[in-house]
Amino acid sequence: MASIARKNLFEDIPRFLVAQAGIMFAVSLVTIQVGILDGFTRSTTRLIEQSDADLWIASKEMLQLEITLPMPLQRLIQAREVEGVDHAEAVISRNSLWLDANGKIVPIRIWGFNPTGRLFSNWSMSKGTPTALKEAYTFITDRSNLNALNIKQVGETGKIVPLKAKLVGLSEYTQSMASSTSIYASLESANAFTSGLGSSLNCTINSGDVDCKNPLSTADIQLSEPQPQPRRLNLVDPISYVLVQAKPDQDLQVLKQRLEAKLPNTRAYTKEEMASITRSYWRERTGIGFILGLGAAVGVIVGIVVVSQILYSSVSDHLKEFGTLKAMGASDWVIYGVITEQALWMAILGYIPSMALCWGLGAWTVAAKGIVILITPTTAIAVFGLTVFMCVGSALIAIQKVTHVDPAIVFKA
Amino acid sequence: MTASQININKLIQHTEYTASTVQERPLYASGTWERSGKRAVVAKGVKMEFRSGADSTPILQGIDLEIPRGEIQLLMGPSGSGKTTLLSILAGILTPTSGTVCLLGEEITRMSKDELSRFRLKNIGFIFQGFNLFPALTAAENVEVALRMKGIRKNEARKQAKDLLMEVGLDNRINHLPRDLSGGQKQRVAIARALADNPKLIMADEPTASLDSHSGHAVIELLRKLAKDNGRTVLIVTHDSRLMDVADRVAYLEDGQLKN
Ligand SMILES: Nc1ncnc2c1ncn2[C@@H]1O[C@H](COP(=O)(O)OP(=O)(O)OP(=O)(O)O)[C@@H](O)[C@H]1O
Ligand SMILES: [Mg+2]
Repeated sequence: MASIARKNLFEDIPRFLVAQAGIMFAVSLVTIQVGILDGFTRSTTRLIEQSDADLWIASKEMLQLEITLPMPLQRLIQAREVEGVDHAEAVISRNSLWLDANGKIVPIRIWGFNPTGRLFSNWSMSKGTPTALKEAYTFITDRSNLNALNIKQVGETGKIVPLKAKLVGLSEYTQSMASSTSIYASLESANAFTSGLGSSLNCTINSGDVDCKNPLSTADIQLSEPQPQPRRLNLVDPISYVLVQAKPDQDLQVLKQRLEAKLPNTRAYTKEEMASITRSYWRERTGIGFILGLGAAVGVIVGIVVVSQILYSSVSDHLKEFGTLKAMGASDWVIYGVITEQALWMAILGYIPSMALCWGLGAWTVAAKGIVILITPTTAIAVFGLTVFMCVGSALIAIQKVTHVDPAIVFKA
Repeated sequence: MTASQININKLIQHTEYTASTVQERPLYASGTWERSGKRAVVAKGVKMEFRSGADSTPILQGIDLEIPRGEIQLLMGPSGSGKTTLLSILAGILTPTSGTVCLLGEEITRMSKDELSRFRLKNIGFIFQGFNLFPALTAAENVEVALRMKGIRKNEARKQAKDLLMEVGLDNRINHLPRDLSGGQKQRVAIARALADNPKLIMADEPTASLDSHSGHAVIELLRKLAKDNGRTVLIVTHDSRLMDVADRVAYLEDGQLKN
């Protein structure tokens, strides 16, 4: 009975197209919501996943990648002495403010690391290399951040209050969608960029008037040219993480325990643990998972409504023919088969262009907005399952109608 | 093989029964075996009322009807007299309020819904006033669907559909959609479909009512041929008095009663 389903479907092309548009809307909405959720959560762990560290050592209070307490640089030295550690590097993560050319303040997150190291900055670069950060007061940012920082290209400068900073490179796929604009600098520059931020005003009293200079304000700030070389970090300077590369064949769980025993008030995490803690923080502690899930649910509901409506009207139009089949002696299953097949065709023909659309949209948002809509194979398969479920589920409503059709209607002219 | 066995075999062949029909279920009533064997349709005391709320309107008030095998029976009567209702009951589509209907020796009024479906599929071809063709399917495909439903394999169904359309004189319209066919041609496609897998009974409701006199004539001629050439039993509900020329018997339905 294959041809009835397909031919009924294509009989009324405008109606078919409306149905497909509805299905595409539903499928795309679901895919994009899930894709954004995946892209979002994945983006929060990009720095972790792209690092070459086997272990991340953090203060034991750490909540997620960007929320942790500092520990002294001494921990780095201590970690290097632990048996089984091949190599260790320090990472600083702090908040600061960027002052763009128009004097607009942009909150930023500064990541300090060793530019000649090999554990942190294993990203792909669209311009420059991390080693350029050896020059003082330089930084790299993700190329998707140029607009946010209001700069156009490598070589331009701005202020990381109160210091002048020069952009020397652009990285790719490093920006977390959940956090403020991230910039990457050497440990020394990062330390300097973030230690000048006082809460004090420089005020003088002049014949009863208080005259204040705010170090944050462009108008008031006087940059001493040239800026003094940033100082080297010493043992008590605060850092955020120690990244560890283990010796070959070293059991990471054993090494974790050894490190935690040797380094007071710390915990060590494997790369995967660190990523999973951060991901679940964003998924669970924020409303984003719920909101995107709600959007996806709306998509499914719209899809079910549209598909049922279309199938129902298509079945109603052919009620007499279905009644004829019943009068001729077709079992109900033959008719269910026809309607279900029609629903499956709608599912397949709605799914394929939707996926193409989502891929295209994803490519565009990455290029234009730095927003990744991540469509994993799992998502693609799950969405297909959902589409089929949606269409066949809608068919049940239409099947209801046919089941109750009185075959005696066939004799009505 | 003993002589008596041979005789039994002959007997079975002569009664036009396949052995399976005989064994499938007890016959209509003991003693009427021989009678119902020669009669394709036997209806006894068929009554039908339609209930709506507390009211019930009696439409058929005790119909007795017998149609011998291979004959064309016409059912005529004024509009609203219950002809279509009676046809639906005789075809096992409607269940009468009371009475029994026996088709080809099987009492269909005792069958379950599923058994009825299977019986109709196997034994009855339908022709409707409104043709009831799938508009999205070509002439051949409309016939093919019926053949496929009856369990005929795809390639064979395709071939048989062509043969049937040729039989009704539509071999040059095989791939036309119903909307590209005239009313008479559509009805001929419907007749080809009704003939699918060679049913023993044909039930037609006003087969010529939607047709002009010329195509009506072609359809009438076709109905006559298919009854006479193949020994099918044909029951036709109609207002069309031209059909009286081809009919073996005519019954009038009036006031819920049959008048011959
Ligand atoms: N499902 C039903 N429910 C209630 N009344 C019905 C139903 N079907 C038919 N009737 C009534 O039964 C009567 C006979 O209807 P039927 O269709 O059998 O007449 P008919 O002889 O075929 O008429 P026509 O020549 O106009 O086709 C009519 O009065 C009709 O209103
Ligand atoms: Mg009628």
